Amino acid sequence: MTLPQMIVDLLTLLFDMAVPAATCTMVLAGIALRQEGGLNFQTGGKFQRWVLWSVILLTLPQFLSWFAAQGITMPAQGGGTGSAWVAGLQTSFSGFVSNVVVAKLIPVLAAFWVLKAALDAAEGQSPLASIIAGLFLLSVSGTVQLMQSWNSGSEFATTDMLTSAWNFLAGTILPEAAGLAIVGAIFNYARHRPFMPLVGSGLAFLSVSAIWKLVQAMAG
Amino acid sequence: MNLSNGLLNLTDWLGNVIMPTMAGLFAAAAIYRFSKGHPYSHFGHAALASLMCSGLLRAMESFSNQAGWNNPDRYWISVLTLVNWVGNVLLPLYGAGQVVLAVAHFAGLLERMTIGEAWVRNLISAMCCFSLSGLLRLGEFWIQHGTAGVR
Repeated sequence: MTLPQMIVDLLTLLFDMAVPAATCTMVLAGIALRQEGGLNFQTGGKFQRWVLWSVILLTLPQFLSWFAAQGITMPAQGGGTGSAWVAGLQTSFSGFVSNVVVAKLIPVLAAFWVLKAALDAAEGQSPLASIIAGLFLLSVSGTVQLMQSWNSGSEFATTDMLTSAWNFLAGTILPEAAGLAIVGAIFNYARHRPFMPLVGSGLAFLSVSAIWKLVQAMAG
Repeated sequence: MNLSNGLLNLTDWLGNVIMPTMAGLFAAAAIYRFSKGHPYSHFGHAALASLMCSGLLRAMESFSNQAGWNNPDRYWISVLTLVNWVGNVLLPLYGAGQVVLAVAHFAGLLERMTIGEAWVRNLISAMCCFSLSGLLRLGEFWIQHGTAGVR
């Protein structure tokens, strides 16, 4: 069945807007990260959901190809839109995301979180939560590019990207977090607060992959 | 910009810039508490640890690198190595310190630190107050000549 040109144009528009939309969902993930604590996230919380949406958006063509492989008729992808108005809409949205959201809005949001970190510290709380959420926000465009490089191009690109994200967290981010755990442990020790949880978690940050293998071995 | 570099720079700044600076504050607090006859060792240890952030992280990395990244026993082995290090390195050092303290107690030196007759404590506090920078340099010297060093 041939789809009407308007539907084809709208589908093309949606596919073309997937990457800028993924950038927006990553920004929302950064905001949710701070809401959920900054140093941690809630299982099934907004942070997880927005990151999952980013992954789905970045792997949308591959995600739909899985349905096509099951025999479900999917609309053709790619090709330019026939309507100048729709093409203009797509250009405007991409420009808004890159020129307003990424270039202007994200640095301002991150700056407000630096302010929040100072206020948190004034209240006797850890400023690290806001600082780390601010770093996450500032690096959104780089993170989206990194995630695009994880796209395997297969029907399972969505799950492949999630696996790559886990490997990135376990192999790159958590060993760096171990250094922060050491600093936190020393501060807690000096302030007569519990420091052994940070020592234990620092060791765990350096061995997350092995703990995953241990859990797998336990499950048999 | 990427998240990994951001976190790495944050950790580097905290561990190698802020904590060595805080060591001076912790050492000053230790001297103040010592001069009042209060327990001071906590702040003294915290000052030394602040100078050793990189070394402590390297120590933890070496504890966890005793087994492969995909070895299910890696966490257990890293905790075991930590326990071995505490038992075979830290406790003998602590024991040597206790022997020194035993000799000092036996000689009656530490009795001069008590509230009633505190002139030794006041004298040592004054010496420490006048030489805080030197004490910090001494701590840095020990750490720089350790196996990990300040990085």
